[in-house]
Amino acid sequence: MVKKNIKVLLSTLGLDVHSRGVLTVAKYLRDAGMEVIYIGNSMPGQIIKAALQEDADIIGVSSLGGAHLTLGSDLISQAKKERIYDEKVFIIGGAIPDDDAGKLKEAGFDEIFISGATKEEIVSSITNIFEKKLV
Amino acid sequence: MDKNKETTREIINKMVDKNKGKPLFSRVALSAIKKEFDKWKGSNVREYDRNNWAVTPQTMLGSGIPREMIYSPLNVSDLDYSSDLGNSGQAPFTRGIHPNMYRGKKFTIRQINGFGGPEDTNERLKFMIKNGATGLSVIFDIPTVQMYDSDDPISRGQVGTSGVAIDSADDMDILFKDIPLEDITISIVTHYPSNTAILFPMFLATAEKRGIPWEKLRGSVQNDITLEEVVRSGPEYIPPRDCFRIQCDNVEFIRKNVPNWNFVTLNGYNLRDYGTSSITEMAVAIANGIQTIETLILRGYKVDWIAKRLAFFWSISNDFFDEVSRIRAARRLWYKIMKYKFNAKDPRSMWMRCHVQTSGITLTRQEPLNNIVRAALQALSATFGGAQSLHVDSYDEAYAVPTEESALISLRTQQIIQSETAVTEVVDPLGGSYYVEALTNDIEKRILDEVSEIEKLGGYVQAIEHGWIHRKVANYFHSEQARMEAGDIKIVGNNCYKSSYKTPPIDVFKYPQGAEERQKEKLAKLKESRNSRKVEKALKNLEQACRSDTNIVPYSVECARHGCTEGEIFKVFKKAYGLWKPPVFF
Repeated sequence: MVKKNIKVLLSTLGLDVHSRGVLTVAKYLRDAGMEVIYIGNSMPGQIIKAALQEDADIIGVSSLGGAHLTLGSDLISQAKKERIYDEKVFIIGGAIPDDDAGKLKEAGFDEIFISGATKEEIVSSITNIFEKKLV
Repeated sequence: MDKNKETTREIINKMVDKNKGKPLFSRVALSAIKKEFDKWKGSNVREYDRNNWAVTPQTMLGSGIPREMIYSPLNVSDLDYSSDLGNSGQAPFTRGIHPNMYRGKKFTIRQINGFGGPEDTNERLKFMIKNGATGLSVIFDIPTVQMYDSDDPISRGQVGTSGVAIDSADDMDILFKDIPLEDITISIVTHYPSNTAILFPMFLATAEKRGIPWEKLRGSVQNDITLEEVVRSGPEYIPPRDCFRIQCDNVEFIRKNVPNWNFVTLNGYNLRDYGTSSITEMAVAIANGIQTIETLILRGYKVDWIAKRLAFFWSISNDFFDEVSRIRAARRLWYKIMKYKFNAKDPRSMWMRCHVQTSGITLTRQEPLNNIVRAALQALSATFGGAQSLHVDSYDEAYAVPTEESALISLRTQQIIQSETAVTEVVDPLGGSYYVEALTNDIEKRILDEVSEIEKLGGYVQAIEHGWIHRKVANYFHSEQARMEAGDIKIVGNNCYKSSYKTPPIDVFKYPQGAEERQKEKLAKLKESRNSRKVEKALKNLEQACRSDTNIVPYSVECARHGCTEGEIFKVFKKAYGLWKPPVFF
């Protein structure tokens, strides 16, 4: 179990039709003791707004349909514009080619989970980044 | 459905008991076999195997049916060749719907295509035809699937991803440029009832423009409530009841006006790949089929008129014999439902015709070339099961949309099965195997049990409204995920036989540039050139139809003819029906 109560906001990015992955991650994180809110399909602006309202520590988005670069980068630049980039952890997961994973890291995502990531990897990585970036 | 009504299981069981008569194995033979079997099991079989006689295979999206160590006539002791199997092309069609099966017509090689704008996908379609594809299948991009226009702010950055962008009938014309619509069968993977009612009319308007009578068009749409209300993640949903009404409107309109078109493809595939057992996959599609036929009968149509163009779409996963048996079981069960529950007369109404796609979720990112092997084995089991058409997933799909190279390998996989292995020469080659027949019986019973469970909830639409199916699926995929991570379900290269060998990077598909801009430009031009008075009138008439009992599709065809866009039509649905929020479980 995680010591401090971490609050996570999860969303399916844009119009992506897939949700099995993000719901699986939601369950992992809740089982690990985090507070999880899933807001369904949202565009970057809506996600930032919801994260502010909910005062979430972690913002996680899921993309399997190919829009990870366009909407993912947009999420980070909007977070920077709203000056919350340094206050929150940003993660993205889904069907993401290796080259693009590098680009998303450069864009500013704290972690990228590609298909096949395990519960242990996801929970421990999020906990570590949270402690490094925010505590 | 009235909850006190006799369930399909009760009806079928009553009739089937009456029709049994000529068991294949005599009592004398069976009792001798049993004596010998028990003796052998007691002496020749080691104690460990005796104690672990039935083992439940742990496979992805499996049925959970335990398997004995060996099967014998004792497992199918009351098998009656005529009433349980029949010859191919004969009731109950267990062995196949045609007498000669693949000798007459090999399964159709139908690979899904779609990316970028219609100009991009048109090139890929022509590439596939040039290389021997015998049917076409088109999938739409995310905004099109979700029913938003390319210039809607919510579509930003997603135009042309995962499929082809279509905003209006003009795009449909570009998509099928130089492709003779009357000469090749086309699967238009519309997924949902709502987008079927929007996109198929655009296809019809294109045919009309080219002077092709609708009667000459052959192909299919998906048109399935399960995809719109259960499998889909999306920002806006219309209520299940209205969605089902549109599904039935599509069925009715297409059956009347495009008689050679398959108006519904009862879809198990996406539900199963989303995460459910091989049994639930089929039970849900069958329950949906039952409710669709019942509704059309209530609208005054004869069962045979509707049922003879019904088609199914199954996912094929890794448990080889389970998959073969499942297709056989579904064929027999559908026959019984049509014959005993609906009193169909035309044998064609009793055919469970199906398209099959190998399972996307079984593909791994690690050592991606292994996926070619997985998909080939799955394709082989679909062939043994007697599928009518097949799509083989490409090895790079855990990364992105298939490249030309990987799509070609999928095509070649099927051509190798058809041309090099001789498996298509003999009909139902596994029929009569004690194992396959026992498994077929067991699967059929389990599917029917789940169909009854749904009927007891009041029918499939009610099962969706109550969130019953959403909960069932979420429970399944959460528990499957745990079994995968515990290593109980083995995935080579992922959770077992992991290697430090780094496979060389594969070429990953790059989306063509500029699709979003091109779509936006075309939309702007369209909006300038079309007759806005006619557009408004067509949309208004559609809204009125939505609010009344008339079939809405003639009105959406009219919308397509006048250049209404997909987003404009979906707005009408949302206005007329309101929005619904499906339950989410984690």
